[in-house]
Amino acid sequence: MRRLGDLEAEIMDRLWRWGRPATVREIVDDINHVRPVAYTTVMTVADILHRKGLLRREKAGRAWLYEPERSREEYTAALMQDALGNTEDRKAALQRFVEHMSPEDVSALDAALRAMGRVPGSAEEPGAPS
Amino acid sequence: MTVLLGYSGGLLVPGHHVLPPLAIALVAGVLLPRALSRSHWAHRTPRLAVTVWILLGLALIASVSLTALQLLLPTAGSHHLSRFTEACVVSGGAQCGSLLPNGLAGVGTRGWAALVAAASVPAAFAVTFVRELLSARRQRVRHADLLRLVGSRRPELGATVLEHDTPAVYCLPGRGPQVVVSSGALEVLTRQQVTAVLEHERAHIAGRHHLLVAAAGAFCAIFRGLPLARLARTEVPLLLEMAADDRALRRCSRDALATALYAVASGQAPDMAFAAGGPSAVLRMRRILTPHAACSPTLRTVFVALTAAAALTPLVLACCSVPGISID
Repeated sequence: MRRLGDLEAEIMDRLWRWGRPATVREIVDDINHVRPVAYTTVMTVADILHRKGLLRREKAGRAWLYEPERSREEYTAALMQDALGNTEDRKAALQRFVEHMSPEDVSALDAALRAMGRVPGSAEEPGAPS
Repeated sequence: MTVLLGYSGGLLVPGHHVLPPLAIALVAGVLLPRALSRSHWAHRTPRLAVTVWILLGLALIASVSLTALQLLLPTAGSHHLSRFTEACVVSGGAQCGSLLPNGLAGVGTRGWAALVAAASVPAAFAVTFVRELLSARRQRVRHADLLRLVGSRRPELGATVLEHDTPAVYCLPGRGPQVVVSSGALEVLTRQQVTAVLEHERAHIAGRHHLLVAAAGAFCAIFRGLPLARLARTEVPLLLEMAADDRALRRCSRDALATALYAVASGQAPDMAFAAGGPSAVLRMRRILTPHAACSPTLRTVFVALTAAAALTPLVLACCSVPGISID
């Protein structure tokens, strides 16, 4: 299963980079520059991606032309939204280094930093464990 | 008073045995949480404080469960129950049968109803907890599926990088855990700061903090409105952040962690809708920058001992009566 997941990423990566619809044959040939992969495997995974709604396809002659449904940037933005969003029920799902804050809170942070005589880039002090 | 309350002539008059678990519920559910959330030592020793919150939660579940049991059991029955429990524990189960002369058939409808009511409290918590965990995992799997396609694994960082200008650092705990940083975060952070934030996230993963956050969430869903639930819901995640900060400080300097905190927070587009994280980040910042003075251990010890007692008494006083001195 791990291999299938990697292959999904490889296929998506190529289609995003090319920025145009491509056939399974083109994708297989390109991956084969790096490592051997069977045509049927790529076809199966492309079909999975299509069913997951990540790729759309249209018939061109006898082959399918595949194309990403959305751009890489759009998916990345969706992930960032998911990660930084202010949903209370996300608390247990993923843990953020710092919560999204209001401007007042950010300036409170700044004040706290300055009150301690620290500014970014100031002299290091040994980080003694508590 | 004991005699009055212990009068068991009426069917619905609760026995005096209701009082101890009820008192423990009040202490663990209202008084101790308020004191704990105001105490100074909690933020200095976050791991100990989290343990205390867990004990308070267990004490509350046990005492509410016992209160339900005692409300429904007739006084005489509750005494029997205590002897039954005691004999079972002492004899390791060998003498259980002799205390129920009529076998299980002799327990009676009311007894069963009491047992079911008592069991329903921990059961409800367990169900909600598991549901919370499953829903969190579903969200993580969905997130990780997409992340695998657009993120790039960086073995030298031990993290997955997302190409995005906004600085963001988070982790996906649980099975196949991973730390995620945005390219925007790598842009604004120095190497020491990157180490600091990655260590912080790895501490969450290693400590399985998501389980405790889920437990606090489940607890809050069931005992909504109770000070213990309301306070634990905000305090436990904050204490876990502090515990992760402490762990990160073993590998990085105070400056690196504090300035990284500011860099990531200030780099994200400020938004009026997000007030939730603010004060807690300031608390963390002050704490990171101020090496802790040794805090008064006496007060802390008293508090922990009190909580442990509250958590244990419901079990010890399974029925608050010692055979021989019970009032019948």
